[in-house]
Amino acid sequence: MSLTTERRHPVPSPADRPHGGPVAWLTTTDHKKIGLLYCVTAFTFFLIGGALAGAMRAELAGTGNQLVGPQAYNTLFTVHGIIMIFLFVAPFGVGLANYLVPLQIGAPDMAFPRLNAMSYWFFVGGGVLVLLSSFATDAGGVATGWYLYPPLSGPRYSPGVGPDLLILGLALIAISTLMSGVNVITTTFLMRAPGMTMWRLPLFTWNAVVTALLGLVAFPPAMAAFVLLLFDRRLGGQAFDPLGGGDPIVYQHLFWFLGHPEVYILILPFFGVITEIIPVCSRKRLFGYTGFVLATLAIGALSTGVWAHHMFTTGVVDNPFFSAMSFAIAVPTGVKFFNWIGTMWGGRLSFRVSMLFSIGFLLNFLIGGVTGVMLASPPLDFQLSDSYFLVSHFHYTIMGGSVFGIFAAIYFWWPKAFGYRLSERLGRGVFAFLFIGFNLTFWPQFVVGLRGMPRRIVDYAPGLGWETPNLVSSLGVVVLSLGVLVFLVDVVTARRRRTPAGDDPWGGHSLEWATTSPPPEHNFTALPRIRSERPAFDMRHPEVSPSSPPMERS
Amino acid sequence: MRRAWTGRLAAVAFVAASSCSSSFGMPRGSTEQGKDIFDLWQIFFWAGIGVAAIVYGLIGWSLLRYRRRRNEDETLLGRQFHANVPLEIIYTAIPVVIVIVLFVLSYRTERTASSLSASPDVTLRAEAFSWGWRFGFPDQGVEVVSQPSAEGVPGPEILLPLGETTRIELTSNDVIHAFWVPDFLYKRDALPGRINRFDVTPTDLGTFHGVCSEFCGLHHAYMTFTVRVVSPAAFDAWIASEAPAGGLA
Repeated sequence: MSLTTERRHPVPSPADRPHGGPVAWLTTTDHKKIGLLYCVTAFTFFLIGGALAGAMRAELAGTGNQLVGPQAYNTLFTVHGIIMIFLFVAPFGVGLANYLVPLQIGAPDMAFPRLNAMSYWFFVGGGVLVLLSSFATDAGGVATGWYLYPPLSGPRYSPGVGPDLLILGLALIAISTLMSGVNVITTTFLMRAPGMTMWRLPLFTWNAVVTALLGLVAFPPAMAAFVLLLFDRRLGGQAFDPLGGGDPIVYQHLFWFLGHPEVYILILPFFGVITEIIPVCSRKRLFGYTGFVLATLAIGALSTGVWAHHMFTTGVVDNPFFSAMSFAIAVPTGVKFFNWIGTMWGGRLSFRVSMLFSIGFLLNFLIGGVTGVMLASPPLDFQLSDSYFLVSHFHYTIMGGSVFGIFAAIYFWWPKAFGYRLSERLGRGVFAFLFIGFNLTFWPQFVVGLRGMPRRIVDYAPGLGWETPNLVSSLGVVVLSLGVLVFLVDVVTARRRRTPAGDDPWGGHSLEWATTSPPPEHNFTALPRIRSERPAFDMRHPEVSPSSPPMERS
Repeated sequence: MRRAWTGRLAAVAFVAASSCSSSFGMPRGSTEQGKDIFDLWQIFFWAGIGVAAIVYGLIGWSLLRYRRRRNEDETLLGRQFHANVPLEIIYTAIPVVIVIVLFVLSYRTERTASSLSASPDVTLRAEAFSWGWRFGFPDQGVEVVSQPSAEGVPGPEILLPLGETTRIELTSNDVIHAFWVPDFLYKRDALPGRINRFDVTPTDLGTFHGVCSEFCGLHHAYMTFTVRVVSPAAFDAWIASEAPAGGLA
């Protein structure tokens, strides 16, 4: 009989109590608490960013200025982008990595627990500065678009203090990303349990490692660009000012060298999430593990060579290299799709809420991928760049993909983190509202983009065929909002009901399912033998596992 | 029941194939360059639909065929195979072939659509500023300057001659803007300190809506313009009426 399923520490240490006081939370260096802090903070930013999006869609529901003027609208979309990218999706991925990587590799904590706490608090500081840059400046909030293109973001055209605060906020976020990246990589390379070779790492951990590597590669050049921009703005520099001999195109190169790996920083952790969920809910082993790992590494490598496809319309990048790389990155992504299908093939699929969100991820992300191939083609990009088609494309990847992955992760690992379940019934409602609402919101944006509607406009003229799709899109946001509301209701009622989940409610594969729910402070009192990429499964199913019966380590 | 399902699939395929000339709601390109690009669009649309149909089909089949049946024991396992190297090589190779073909086609179209004529018939200087446009035909001494853009202010209108090649020299006076006529399926950025050159050869008479597509600040949304394509004779007449008395040309 398995030794690890029984609770070995019925009395948790004080710092490990589920209701540890606020001081315990604020001073914690425990990777699980930091992971949860990341996730909760990021989700709060999701609600803020979502409210901003709601205001934008209300404004665009019809022609004319109904709700906000151009100045406020320009701030809305700038801050919406910054929040969703840097303060919600990316840090939620970091939070999951914090929580899961040590558990999945059988380690007691991250390699540098205090650095870990510091990276969280830098992220919070960056988030506060971003909020200040948008809502709390007397000279108007930052209104430059999330990519802060000079000369518009320079001192002449954006004199307020908003962009300065935003740059400082992004600097803190970048430092936080570097610190957490170093931590995830060191932890994975040095702290794996005996038997946990790199080729047995769970796919979520692999994706977390590649994400961390991308952060280390991509953020420093962008930091350089931001600092030069700050010099231009406050110290009389002219790095990007054409009147002083500077070149705004240089900024674009540096920025997109961050910007494109960043979109893979946003998606890879959630590729990892659904790659954990689909085998468990299919009652099967992952299909094509080696292919998955190689595809993930290929995506990481290729993503650093595609940045100038954001600059095709500048007329400055006349090199087919960037187009070729952008096409090429579709291949490893395609391989992953077939591997996910191969994993479901021949399985016994149970449509738990986490599985529903994973399937939603596949259906939405495929559209994002196919339209992404269109954007890799320069002649097509001449129509699509800066249009609503582009807006819809990246929402199909980041929202239809990553955000669905986030909800999948929440429903999948919630019982592990808290010891009780969310409601499957309410969860199916959340999924239905989000899936329908998402497609209702963003599909019309493909249509209106092809009809010539540019992004980032507060208003549009009637008679161009843009009214109906915009109205439908705005109504879709109502459905989306209902989904988020039902989710919050689910969280509140589940916290009250506290239906015990047991240590392994789904028949999980990776090591986190071999410890208690929630795990003790040091994660494991005993580890099963690790003879494949799914040690928890092997422990419970010796009849199909490659290893001999489990053995205790203590 | 199986037959009804395949029959429906065939019907869908037939409808899709018979509407092969569909533009999917997008403009078909009202210039020679745009028509080249539109041909490429068709290829991408059908390739995309084909790929999506195959992948959605496989996903749908897995979900239906391999779902856990009602009353089935939850702890039953699926078949525990985990790799099939030849299959994996095949489904890596097929996307490689697809993207190579699409890349080559894109590269060729980009060469033709962005190639510059040795002797354009008309030269249009387009200078973007915050927030409006200054359009000039330097050879004819004609200039059209917009009102400062704002809500309710109509954008400027310029005329282009049908069937003649117009060289557009695009630049910006301050921040980055972009010149986009959706019906031409083409846009270019207007960069301060640089001149972007491209040719348009209109093939359709009509009035076409143009916008600034690179976010440029407060009144970005209102920085619109209109391009009216007319016969060469009408174009000459318009030039003559717009040219300053005594003419520079």
